[in-house]
Amino acid sequence: MDLTPVIDGFGVVLEPTNLLYCLIGVVIGMLIGVLPGLGPAATIAILLPLTFGIEPVTAIIMLAGIFYGAQYGGTITSVLLRLPGEASSVVTVFDGHALARQGKAGTALGIAAIGSFIGGTVSIIALSLLAPIVASFALDFGPPEYTALALLGILLVSTVSSGDRLKAVIAACVGLLLATVGRDGFTGAERFTFSNLSLADGLDFVPIAMGLFGLGEILYNLEERHRAVQAPATVANVWPSRADLRQSAGAIGRGSVLGFVLGILPGGGATLSSLAAYALEKRRSKHPERFGQGAVEGVAAPETANNAAATSSFIPLLTLGIPANATMAVIFGALLIQGVSPGPQLVSQEPELFWGVVNSMYIGNILLLIMSIPLVGLFVRILRVRATVLAPITVLITLVGVYTVNNDVFDIVLVIVFGALGYLMKKLGFDPGPLVLAFVLGSLLEDSLRRSLLIFDGDVTGFFTRPISGVLLVVFILVAALPVLQGARARRRAVARPDTRELV
Amino acid sequence: MTRNSGTRRWVLTGLGITLALSTAACGGNVGGGSDAAAEDFPGGDPVTIYVGQDPGGSTDLIARALADAASEDLGVPVTVENKPGANGALAAQELAGQDPDGHTLMVFNGSLGYITPLAVPEDEAIDIADYEIVTGVSQDDYVLVTAPSSGFATVDDLKNAGRPITFGTTGVGTGSQLSQELLFAQSGIDATAVPFDGGSPTLTAVLGGQVDVGSIQLGEAIEQIEAGELTPIVTFAEERPSYLPDTPTAVEAGYDVPVQQSRAVFAPSGTPQEVLDRLQAAFQAAFDSPEYQQFNEDNQLTPNEVSGDELREQWTSNLDSYRSVVEEYGIDLGGAE
Repeated sequence: MDLTPVIDGFGVVLEPTNLLYCLIGVVIGMLIGVLPGLGPAATIAILLPLTFGIEPVTAIIMLAGIFYGAQYGGTITSVLLRLPGEASSVVTVFDGHALARQGKAGTALGIAAIGSFIGGTVSIIALSLLAPIVASFALDFGPPEYTALALLGILLVSTVSSGDRLKAVIAACVGLLLATVGRDGFTGAERFTFSNLSLADGLDFVPIAMGLFGLGEILYNLEERHRAVQAPATVANVWPSRADLRQSAGAIGRGSVLGFVLGILPGGGATLSSLAAYALEKRRSKHPERFGQGAVEGVAAPETANNAAATSSFIPLLTLGIPANATMAVIFGALLIQGVSPGPQLVSQEPELFWGVVNSMYIGNILLLIMSIPLVGLFVRILRVRATVLAPITVLITLVGVYTVNNDVFDIVLVIVFGALGYLMKKLGFDPGPLVLAFVLGSLLEDSLRRSLLIFDGDVTGFFTRPISGVLLVVFILVAALPVLQGARARRRAVARPDTRELV
Repeated sequence: MTRNSGTRRWVLTGLGITLALSTAACGGNVGGGSDAAAEDFPGGDPVTIYVGQDPGGSTDLIARALADAASEDLGVPVTVENKPGANGALAAQELAGQDPDGHTLMVFNGSLGYITPLAVPEDEAIDIADYEIVTGVSQDDYVLVTAPSSGFATVDDLKNAGRPITFGTTGVGTGSQLSQELLFAQSGIDATAVPFDGGSPTLTAVLGGQVDVGSIQLGEAIEQIEAGELTPIVTFAEERPSYLPDTPTAVEAGYDVPVQQSRAVFAPSGTPQEVLDRLQAAFQAAFDSPEYQQFNEDNQLTPNEVSGDELREQWTSNLDSYRSVVEEYGIDLGGAE
């Protein structure tokens, strides 16, 4: 493969502005990783309008930094305070905090940082190799292929997600319905617009994401009583011993691969892969009873996997234009704001953006590795900022921010409406993720399907006679049959589940 | 900064008041202080130009190029504000509600005035009679392109394809759709419209052979045409654009379908004539600047820097002629099937 654009990409990252934004991104990421509640999807959604005035590549470098930075940050509070900052660090609590109690907090954090770095790096390299291959098929991706991809994406999102499957399907259906609002792009007919020109182009993605993820989460968190934070244990001896490294080498290797694979799958992502990696290590171990008592592998595996997954979930977005999880959906929105439509052409049409973002992840991971240990004390102190101070500021930023995207007051109303909806969904146990993803993929599905049928002159068999769409539809059918297989897998995973319930 | 002599200013203010009164009688919401403001426009206050499209698109770039140059002449900041939605109808609606004091303007897309009304229900169509026109700006040509692998090079090739043709459009109610619908109806080619979401996806679909042909704005396709990745079949200009001298126009090929994207600066109804004149002078200064002329060249735009009255005539006659030819051939822009 031609390496010139890859090297040019490093040139892009090393521009001072981009380095600065990369640093800002990973620091914000670590911060919100430390704070329980506000996740990366919410933060990126809230910060979307800020990216408006900066170069696309710089903006995405920063947003990506927030995402994988949060995976690092979440570890710190899991280990030190038994308080997972992110859902993807929940399993790290078991052995991480046990190690901390044994006075080995430094070892746990060190192993987590090294694992995260390796997991992230493996994923970036795989991403770099895979993306140009997908991109070489770019022009073969026509409406029928996008139809099949969108179908598959929506199916995966609503069935593979970590929560209640029925609720995920309901949320996805609501998302699909919301996607139908607006002027029909094929006939010019109005659908659910109530003669309001603000709705003519459909509901905008940004206010929906900012409402559901941003405002909704802030409201929901206000309800939670905040525990008093005890002073963190002193962290010493960060470099893990040779024995610790040897012990966790296998876990890091397997975590990288598992995280990479699960991250690519729509609906997978960091949380699922950290759970799966932990379960895998526990099952493979000759002494499973050590898990929960301070096993280094129990920290290494999930932390490696969640970072690998955070990186690899960029693959479907950057190569196919299909967001694999909620955070990717928000980054998808950020690209659209910047006038970049993600898809197979991205690598060849915007090589600077693509390779700039991909290569920034190397730099970002190095920055995180350097920062994560010395800054632990500082980050933990941030936990003392009260929600009564933080929440109003965030709400204000959200509302001002959304207005600046389109200069439309209607968007502020949308954020509030979807904020209320997001709050109710969380309260009733619905994950807003499938809704947002189905909303994004819904218009792609409808438009591509109708385009395909126009091209095929109404002949549905056309989908199966084209190689790429044919294969994708076969995969779709296989995945639709997956619940049977999943039943078997759930029985096996039950082994790891008792501790999960105990701690969450 | 006002260069008018005292007497002339008074005459024009009088005109402005008369105009303001006449529109007030028609129920327009005229701000009370418009006559005083007209006297020494812009009077130190900034000017805002609405753009009904996303930042980065051609309309946005044109507005920004104009704003920079006009700001210099007016001596006040001129800012561009993007209010995307409904192909610009949202911004146009908002413009109509602003004080007619010359401080809020909009770069209008011609399609909004003379093509979209043919595709959307009557009560949603924008009527250019509801606005003042400051000046015409420029025109953008559409070109019918195909991938070289399709083997098509002329309209006759399409006619003799022996199968129905699929054509990509940049959306419903756009010049891209109208130009092709007219061409295929007049030449009796059996063709199906496949609407895409803007110029870039349409281009990709044509490049990948997903659709046989597509009509795209010249500036968006020129790079691929020069690289030999796209074959231009005809342009829909009235005469050959200087940027593509070797490609025949549809008129030359025997089909009467000139369709162009035109852009103009609009102001709310009731803006005093003196203010319009002052603005027109500022934009004229912008047109004359070498940077702006280079900008036109770089973006394959043909200047159409005509007066507001002339532009209104152009667009109204476009709407009339499109309406009659669309009716003649029974073309339904709203229904793509």
